[in-house]
Amino acid sequence: MAKRIKALYSRRTMIIKYIHTWYLMSVNSFSSMMVSRLGGFLFIVGKSLRFFFFLFFLLLITQKSQTIAGYTQNQAILFFLTFNLIDTTSQFFFREVYRFRHLVVSGNLDLVLVKPISPLFRSLLGGADIFDLFMLIPFIIATFIVAQRQNPDIFHIALFIFLILSGLGIAMAFHIIVLALGILTTEIDHAVMIYRDVTSMGRIPIDVYKEPVRGFLTFIIPVGIMMTTPTKALMGLVSAEGVIFAVSVSFISLMISILCWKYALLSYTSASS
Amino acid sequence: MKTFQRIIKNTVSEYTVYRLNFILWRFRMLLRLLILFFLWQAIYGSQNFIFGYGKSQMLTYILLSQIVTTFIFSTKTQELGDLIHQGNLSNHLIKPLNIFHFLLARDVADKALNILFSIIEIALIIVIFRPPIMLTSDISTLLLFFIAVIMGIGMYFMVSIVLSLMSFWTQESWAHRFLFFVISDFLAGGLFPLDILPQPVFRILSLLPFPYMLYFPLKVYLGNQTSGEIIQGFIISLIWVGIFYAGFKILWQKGLKLYTAEGR
Repeated sequence: MAKRIKALYSRRTMIIKYIHTWYLMSVNSFSSMMVSRLGGFLFIVGKSLRFFFFLFFLLLITQKSQTIAGYTQNQAILFFLTFNLIDTTSQFFFREVYRFRHLVVSGNLDLVLVKPISPLFRSLLGGADIFDLFMLIPFIIATFIVAQRQNPDIFHIALFIFLILSGLGIAMAFHIIVLALGILTTEIDHAVMIYRDVTSMGRIPIDVYKEPVRGFLTFIIPVGIMMTTPTKALMGLVSAEGVIFAVSVSFISLMISILCWKYALLSYTSASS
Repeated sequence: MKTFQRIIKNTVSEYTVYRLNFILWRFRMLLRLLILFFLWQAIYGSQNFIFGYGKSQMLTYILLSQIVTTFIFSTKTQELGDLIHQGNLSNHLIKPLNIFHFLLARDVADKALNILFSIIEIALIIVIFRPPIMLTSDISTLLLFFIAVIMGIGMYFMVSIVLSLMSFWTQESWAHRFLFFVISDFLAGGLFPLDILPQPVFRILSLLPFPYMLYFPLKVYLGNQTSGEIIQGFIISLIWVGIFYAGFKILWQKGLKLYTAEGR
């Protein structure tokens, strides 16, 4: 019994340690990003414009046809906002992945591996992006306002949030696989941008696409589960089986990604330290 | 001439150093083309006519826009920004070779590779998906299209140089380029033909340089423009090329006076 309590206590201490470490790394990352305030301002303007441009395009196409794959203009906007919510949140947390290649080719990954902290944690979450945090706040507000028009009840709202977290789990799995690929091949940039390009197909409901594209986006690269399923849950369009399937895909993706990461670490030979 | 040939050869060789990087790069280009293609196929659904464009016209526009994008937007000139920040510009300044000629030669290599593989990728899509596309054999249309593309290439080359030269004044070389990418991605007409926008918006856009980088050459190819519109388009393109050339000259002269080879 005493051993069990001790184990629980040390696990709790470990979690607090990792949260504190993440906070410190994020503060460092924010500080370095804010060195160039003009650059920061331009990034925020660029991200905002990118959002408004596609929103304008969405309004344009739904104005003509009134619906898209049977969804109204308001629903289409909700799909787009949910995509932005998930995409921006994953970029906020996992921005360090974009800088991982330099760690590998310079040999500095060795310095990460010798530290008393999980290298996966450091490589995945070591550099939160403050500009994405600035973008996240208006996205959350806009999603709340647009979602209210669907008159969801508490259960569907809870399901929506739960499936967003599940979608973030799939996003995490993709990023871990990209890290593993980075160790094995030193190729990161195109791999992560391929992930971004494919997930961008979730800006509109994937029901719009014909088969086999729709099947590909549901079962092979589960963009549909990440981006479309949460919004459909908010509208009450997802069954219990659909929720279980989404969560299962998220769990299995994470398991596979961690196996890939472990395999990559075993294969790591340190480029040039 | 031999120098430029050597630069072009070296640039092509650089791409083949990291083969997986090269393969993933081409896969990504193919994916982007497919994403746009599927998006517009989905938007059209069972309809044949939207925004004044038939399905074949729109799909032709989208597929051709990807080839023309590789002509116009592929560039190596962003390296100039890094050369300035790292102080490595000095190496180029002391050489008996104009750095802009050097960058132009690298651009030629980059564009040649992009075009070669884009044609293969588009051909694959045509063979597999058999989209209804329009092919023109009218010599005058093709000639005007070619001239419009060349002007677009010249315009973007100048713009990219100007963006890189801002590195003389800022520590940041990527932020303003990112902003430009976002704006040009939408306003150049890569996602949709710009004339589907409300007329007042389109008229304002027609005065900006962005439509002449991509939208204008594609409209010339589709044969939807009157002679007056084509002449107006070429005149506005020339004016913008001139403005960007003047901007490049001024920024280069002023920037060199500030340059201290910081980082060397």
